[in-house]
Amino acid sequence: MSDVLIRVRDLTRDYRLIKRREGVVGGLVDLVRPRWSTLRAVADVSFDIAPGEMVGYIGANGAGKSTTIKMLTGILTPTGGEVTVGGLVPWKQRRQYTRHIGAVFGQRTQLWWDLAVVESFRLLKKIYEVPDDVYAAQMGVFNELLGIDEFLHQPVRKLSLGQRMRCDLAAALLHKPRILFLDEPTIGLDVVAKENVRRFLREIRDLQGVTVILTTHDLGDIEQLCRRVMIIDKGRVHFDGELEELRRRTGHRVRMTVDFREPTSGARLATVTAGLPVVWQEGEGRRHVAEFRRLDVAGADVIKRVVNDCPVRDLALAEPDIEEIVREIYRDSAAAAAPAPGRSA
Amino acid sequence: MSGAAATRLDPWRRSAAATAGLYLHFVRLAFLKFLAYRLRYYTGVISYTIFVAGYYYLYRALYASRAPGPGGVAEMGGLTVGEMITYVAVGWIGRSFYFNNIGRDLMHQVREGQIAMQLIKPYDVQSVMMFEAAGEAVFRLVMFTVPITVVIVPLFGVHLPPQPVLLGWTVLSFTLSLVVYSQLNFLVGCLAFHMKNIDGVLRAKMVSGDFLAGVIVPFSFFPEWFQRVVEWLPFQAIGYLPVMIYLGKRPGDELWQALLVQAGWAVGLWLAGRVAFRRSLRQVVVQGG
Ligand SMILES: Nc1ncnc2c1ncn2[C@@H]1O[C@H](COP(=O)(O)OP(=O)(O)O)[C@@H](O)[C@H]1O
Ligand SMILES: [Mg+2]
Repeated sequence: MSDVLIRVRDLTRDYRLIKRREGVVGGLVDLVRPRWSTLRAVADVSFDIAPGEMVGYIGANGAGKSTTIKMLTGILTPTGGEVTVGGLVPWKQRRQYTRHIGAVFGQRTQLWWDLAVVESFRLLKKIYEVPDDVYAAQMGVFNELLGIDEFLHQPVRKLSLGQRMRCDLAAALLHKPRILFLDEPTIGLDVVAKENVRRFLREIRDLQGVTVILTTHDLGDIEQLCRRVMIIDKGRVHFDGELEELRRRTGHRVRMTVDFREPTSGARLATVTAGLPVVWQEGEGRRHVAEFRRLDVAGADVIKRVVNDCPVRDLALAEPDIEEIVREIYRDSAAAAAPAPGRSA
Repeated sequence: MSGAAATRLDPWRRSAAATAGLYLHFVRLAFLKFLAYRLRYYTGVISYTIFVAGYYYLYRALYASRAPGPGGVAEMGGLTVGEMITYVAVGWIGRSFYFNNIGRDLMHQVREGQIAMQLIKPYDVQSVMMFEAAGEAVFRLVMFTVPITVVIVPLFGVHLPPQPVLLGWTVLSFTLSLVVYSQLNFLVGCLAFHMKNIDGVLRAKMVSGDFLAGVIVPFSFFPEWFQRVVEWLPFQAIGYLPVMIYLGKRPGDELWQALLVQAGWAVGLWLAGRVAFRRSLRQVVVQGG
């Protein structure tokens, strides 16, 4: 993987906001002489992406995901830093560049609201100069994978959100773009529709080798689609690596939930596992929770001690979900980079 | 990853023929879109007829109260009563054709962030909006202007132009009005990038625009100084000049001058809209998402 398709260096974007004064008088003063404050939505973000990669860009609401995607798609001009995609600067060579990309923004549609879906596809065919045979082949693929033939002749405004998202995905891929940007493609979809979108993305990646950058705050998207993950919070990238590596960083933390046959005290449990790197959470009565890392101790050893010393009714081991892992990464890098990164008044 | 080979995206250019085909497609789509809402326009035919009827009776009454001039016919602002009614009727018939709301359209797209969907496409947004306006105009011509003409012309005894050839020049002139009007709307719509709400600006532009275009009151009613000022504004190139051509009030070289003034405004406003749109994009944030 020595090829670079997308090169981002120190990408930064500030928004200017009016600092509101209080009350009616304050409101009037704001009109005449606004006080501005600056919000750094994206701060010094750097990364390279190779052709064919499928990268997940995850973070909570307001983390800076959409702002990053807007700069990568050329809609927004950065405050600082560089982006080159295949030798082009998105916001400077917009018409050259957008020929090669497709984009889906979860909350909006690029289809013509008042017209039948197929009219939008015909228009896109003209916009991107898609040859007849490619058009027919692509529409065949989309129908097979997304079943869009069903509603091709309905006006867009009559489609359900899931149907519309399927059409929008097809619309973004009709011209076989080199790069596909997806900003929260599964937002608002039900479980089945989400699953459909994910399956389609997997298949189209394997079929057409498109490079994908996908933002989400739904970790299910990432787990099913991306090997590489970037975690962004308060405008800064806190982790960039493989999903596996992310799991490893947290040392394969395990959470063990034990139901005892009789009320058991925390102090008693602490003595039971004395000498093992196990942490018992605050707990009372019959249910207690312990955490340990598989790297430090074998699960079987912990269980053996507990079961031998106390009457246990039930016991469960759970991997932390990725949301917890992300929270942990935030915590680590926030501690490393005090004062809090990203925001300035 | 330093020193890594950089993948390049292929350069690309749309041929002139493909560009023309694309823009024609936008004309067609806009036509279809408005066709879906055609019911709205049936009421429009009635309201335009009522407007013109109002002016008809107003001017009839005004002229009747006037003493006849030297030629034995009453004149106001250099127009006879028949010319005056023709002026009003042709002005409104023209307006039924060139009118559009692309400024408001652009405002909504900017305010709701939908403009992003255009910016990720490899085309020129301003040109696309112009050709959509053309599609709307074709729709209005067929569904609105023609029915209105058929109703208004016989009903109010609208005159034909003094020479039949002027009819052709008037059509050309109104086509230029469409271009000027659309460019002006686009330019005003660009304000939406900088202001939260430009509804007020748009409404003011529409009313004062109709007034300054001479659609509401003919210029010849205004004092001399006001007419001089209005000559320097784009509005007269929208509503006033085509009607003057129709009435034969732009004889000889003045016809060419009038058309050139219109073309000049079309080009000037197009360039201004280009600059405004580009600068706005660079400075301003596209909302949402
Ligand atoms: N147009 C804007 N004006 C001012 N602040 C904005 C604007 N858009 C986003 N922000 C702020 O920038 C930060 C990042 O926003 P965004 O990139 O939309 O995050 P995400 O997509 O991860 O939810 C948030 O704090 C948000 O409030
Ligand atoms: Mg977002």
